[in-house]
Amino acid sequence: MARVLVAMSGGVDSSVAAALLVEQGYDVVGATMKLTCHGDELPDRPCCSLDSVNDARRVCDQLGVPHYVLNLEQSFGRDVVDDFVREYARGRTPIPCVRCNTFTKFRDLVARADAIDAPLVATGHYARVIDGRLHRGADAKKDQSYFLWGLRRAVLDRLLLPVGGLSKPETRQRAESLGIGLVAGKAESQDICFVPDGDHVRVVAARLAPGDPALQPGPLLLSSGRQVGSHEGFARYTVGQRRGLPGGFPEPMFVVDIDPATRAIVIGPRHELMGRLIVAGEANWLADLPTPGTRVLAQIRHRGEATPATVIEVDGDRIELAFAEPASAITPGQSVVLYDGDQVLGGGVIDRVPASRRALPVAAA
Amino acid sequence: MPEPIYLDHSATTPVRPEVLGAMLPFFGPRFGNPSSTHRWGREARVALDEARERLARALGATADEVCFTSGGTEADNLAVLGAWRALRDGRPAVVSTPIEHKAVLAAVERVEAEGGIARLVDVDAQARVDPAAFAAALGDDSALGSVMWVNNEVGVIQDIAALGAAAREHGALFHTDGVQALGKVAIDVRALPVDYLSVSGHKVGAPKGIGALFIRRGAPIMPLMHGGSQDRGRRPGTENVAMAVGFARAVELAVAEREAECARLEALRDHLEQALLARIPDAVVHGRGAPRAAHVLNISVPGTDSESMLMALDLQGVACSAGSACQSGSIDPSHVLSAMRVPHELAVASIRMSLGAMSTEAHVARVAELFPALIAKARRLSGLSTR
Repeated sequence: MARVLVAMSGGVDSSVAAALLVEQGYDVVGATMKLTCHGDELPDRPCCSLDSVNDARRVCDQLGVPHYVLNLEQSFGRDVVDDFVREYARGRTPIPCVRCNTFTKFRDLVARADAIDAPLVATGHYARVIDGRLHRGADAKKDQSYFLWGLRRAVLDRLLLPVGGLSKPETRQRAESLGIGLVAGKAESQDICFVPDGDHVRVVAARLAPGDPALQPGPLLLSSGRQVGSHEGFARYTVGQRRGLPGGFPEPMFVVDIDPATRAIVIGPRHELMGRLIVAGEANWLADLPTPGTRVLAQIRHRGEATPATVIEVDGDRIELAFAEPASAITPGQSVVLYDGDQVLGGGVIDRVPASRRALPVAAA
Repeated sequence: MPEPIYLDHSATTPVRPEVLGAMLPFFGPRFGNPSSTHRWGREARVALDEARERLARALGATADEVCFTSGGTEADNLAVLGAWRALRDGRPAVVSTPIEHKAVLAAVERVEAEGGIARLVDVDAQARVDPAAFAAALGDDSALGSVMWVNNEVGVIQDIAALGAAAREHGALFHTDGVQALGKVAIDVRALPVDYLSVSGHKVGAPKGIGALFIRRGAPIMPLMHGGSQDRGRRPGTENVAMAVGFARAVELAVAEREAECARLEALRDHLEQALLARIPDAVVHGRGAPRAAHVLNISVPGTDSESMLMALDLQGVACSAGSACQSGSIDPSHVLSAMRVPHELAVASIRMSLGAMSTEAHVARVAELFPALIAKARRLSGLSTR
């Protein structure tokens, strides 16, 4: 049976993935990626800690398969952490998990698979590969396809996602029945692995020069241009954020735009968050390139809903699309993922749309 | 899968049957505490004293100069910190090298953290420490010089006689980490200017968890731990009688077999090295230009990486190592190779093969075929890689 390299975090999903593949007769090799230094971590984290490496090793021991720790600290730092900091410094809100999948897991890990003659790779993601196409996971609540749009298409031909057809409770149940109960009750990982306490500003500040504009005070403006206060650095804010904004307005106020050039944060009532036009870069396609006018479903946040949109233009790795109904808090740095039903067509990283263009009416969707 | 091949004897070795046999009574009927006055205690005490004496004899020391420890790390810590803390008032400095085991390097860092002075003497490209440079670094303010006898990663042997003499000339005491030297080079502390010598059991067929520090009679030592008066107060805590007995037996065997075994291992190692260099002409063997212990072969092939090679070798049943494994089990680039100024491309590709009791001609022949094939494949892939 074919050899498969399974990326194992030590959590229940990837452990069950490995166990299912062993059960199906694959020649399984487990690997845990070491992405950050294990020196100064918090205890009891569900993934990416020393304890989780040990859990993955124990699971592999119980399954009777080899396990390795892959030191990907350097490339993860370069491709994911540095980018994360750069994005905040540009006034955007990055999703490091997307880049970790695109580069660390599905490029670097795949290269290690080649090195050990493994034609297949597997992860514990809740998504499915059907006939070489990427689809949402069967459990809508757990679906992680939103994070996977950056995969190279060729990887789909060698990718196994064994828990993609299960629900989370089913996965936990399988952990028990497959004899790896030690991970069955582990908590979900929610945080970004290198921001364990959720304080992204601390991580960003530690890596930026002390005088970086992203951490300098700047004006808080209304969309009319009137200044209503000041802030302590735009890297602390994200579009759609309400926390930390001054009160005294008739309606709740939200961050509606961040302009790194002037360090200005524009705030406004909820209706100013609404937009229909999306421009995205770094586009990647897991299906044939869509043509202008193609109707798709577009999703702009992990737990968001995919809603109807029309492709306006595709130009190299740039894509423009328009939602049929206005969407709330289209956030630069987040991903827009295009679906046809449950199938992932592709995606891109949302760019800031200049205010002048945002005001323009969008061609009928 | 074909028979697995263990080429990682520098990491650890299996317990020898003779050693296990010598220890077993002390897990059973002879379980006494050596400090007790009754017959069980006496029995244990006699066994412990005898083990200490036998170990001392194997090293050329006297029994009172042997302090049993939990292993090499404790022995290194006890030597560096124990000597420095005893002498720090007049002599605040400790001199060592960047190629030491972490057990010495971290103890030297601790010296600095406690207000002392740490100086590391550079090594040359073959990992050799120049005695003149070592002498210069010692100056007249050093309590201790510490240089590892046989390097664990590349196998290079230091001129311990010259380095120890340099330390004495400067009024400093001298420690050598002899963990990898034990059973591989002739050790006679009577004939050497060495005040402290660390040794470890599990590198020579005794279990993990036992080691010893030779402390020359009269050399100062401050204990690391505080408790009872065991081992003259140098190392409190009920002695590990069984393992001390096993360790003494293992060292006696290793010393007795040393010449014949090292000749055997050297022939195997040289055969493997020549075969690999013939098949991979641009491979680099680290420390090849210096005197090397017979059992170590540390080789780098440009265009490959240690981590992938170790996986590929392990999946073929061949156990090697690289750099120093960190807590998680991943590989960090070797501090020894960087101190030798090995270019990055080679440092990240290094594979250490260490031969020992389990090694046979058939193993060497198989690795001589397999390794070049895996290298060729890794290079094809790295040529294709976009990185």
